[in-house]
Amino acid sequence: MSAPAEPTLPAPYRIVARRQDSADVFTWTVEPLGEHAPTFLPGQFNMLYAYGIGEVPVSISSAAAGEPLLHTIRAVGSVTRPMAALPVGTVIGLRGPYGTAWPLAEAEGGDLVIVAGGLGLAPLRPAILGALARRAQFGRLCLLYGTRSPADVLFADQLAAWRARGDLELRVTVDRATPDWTDEVGVVTRLIARAGFDPARTTAFVCGPEIMMRFAGEALLRRGVPAAAIHLSLERNMKCAVGYCGHCQLGPHFICRDGPVLAWPRLAGLLDVAEL
Amino acid sequence: MTLRERVESQRFCQGLGEAQCGELAACASERCFAQGEFLLRQHAPADTFYLVLEGQVQIRLALPGQGLVTLETIGPDEAVGWSWFAPPYRCQFDALATTPTRTLAFAAEPLRALMERDPTVGYAVLKVLVSTLSERVQSCRLQVLDVYAPPAGQR
Repeated sequence: MSAPAEPTLPAPYRIVARRQDSADVFTWTVEPLGEHAPTFLPGQFNMLYAYGIGEVPVSISSAAAGEPLLHTIRAVGSVTRPMAALPVGTVIGLRGPYGTAWPLAEAEGGDLVIVAGGLGLAPLRPAILGALARRAQFGRLCLLYGTRSPADVLFADQLAAWRARGDLELRVTVDRATPDWTDEVGVVTRLIARAGFDPARTTAFVCGPEIMMRFAGEALLRRGVPAAAIHLSLERNMKCAVGYCGHCQLGPHFICRDGPVLAWPRLAGLLDVAEL
Repeated sequence: MTLRERVESQRFCQGLGEAQCGELAACASERCFAQGEFLLRQHAPADTFYLVLEGQVQIRLALPGQGLVTLETIGPDEAVGWSWFAPPYRCQFDALATTPTRTLAFAAEPLRALMERDPTVGYAVLKVLVSTLSERVQSCRLQVLDVYAPPAGQR
């Protein structure tokens, strides 16, 4: 990981492309104006600063190598909504990358199960691409993706391409189907029992709404996946991103610094506390 | 695999004796459904307990003005329906095979009679049924939560 030299100083980046992924999700392709082009690991995030609007943490959704820098953003709050309206060509501030990464190297030699819920597919995309780039190093590779409705399915073209490869078990489910939907229906946690993997030699990466991750973690444990092999990516109100301010604290963890990717044993008992 | 072996490989047969498995097998048959064929129809007598061996089944409900809505999909090693177990033994939903589907089909009446007559068998089947029900209720609760919706106050 290349740590930023000035951890709280944004570097100028230009939005060079924008893709609308669903009604409220869009992806920016950004390029540095100067020489600031840090490397990153799958699962890390950047702080994106829309000048005059505000700054938000956004996970990196591009491959760690060989792709332009992508950020997939949901227009949902007071910063990301105005961000959605910024035209291509706008200069934004970017600082990062921050946080921990998906432990892809640790997962090699065994099966890898990736459970994504909604926008959680975006931070997992670099890990999926990383695993596919080194496909021979893994046993069975399963991607279980659940989202709200067919209209909310992200990266549909990419999913189709992954399915066509034949060396990845891809299951897509929606909570609310439309009459033309032919894939699975129901919550993503149901797919864990259906997927073909050997629990004892499986590593799992999970990202999505926190409640979904809690139930997914429990379903993986029921299936027999060791707790230490289950990794979740948490989201909190990150401000400084370097472990100074404490806004993103979850119990003893600063999610920006100790996370966002944390192993299940470190989160035990924290995901079902209402006040945290 | 013979029908008897197929029944014996089911979770509820673990711990049951040979004779009990034989009685369960006597209630069972293998039944196949073509894509687009219904396993269950809403309001019809719930006279069969299906376990999916291969294929995919959609549980559907007719909603006025919206047509047929799929509530969930059922895959291999999963049970379809439990209306056969409790009065009035009427199906509450449609179950449609969306791929060619192979099932283990238990005739409900002799199965219920066997469960009543032999509580060990009854308990074994019921344990599986309750675990299925519990899983479905939990899933249903998550679906109702609408976890992918924008947080309250930001909709």
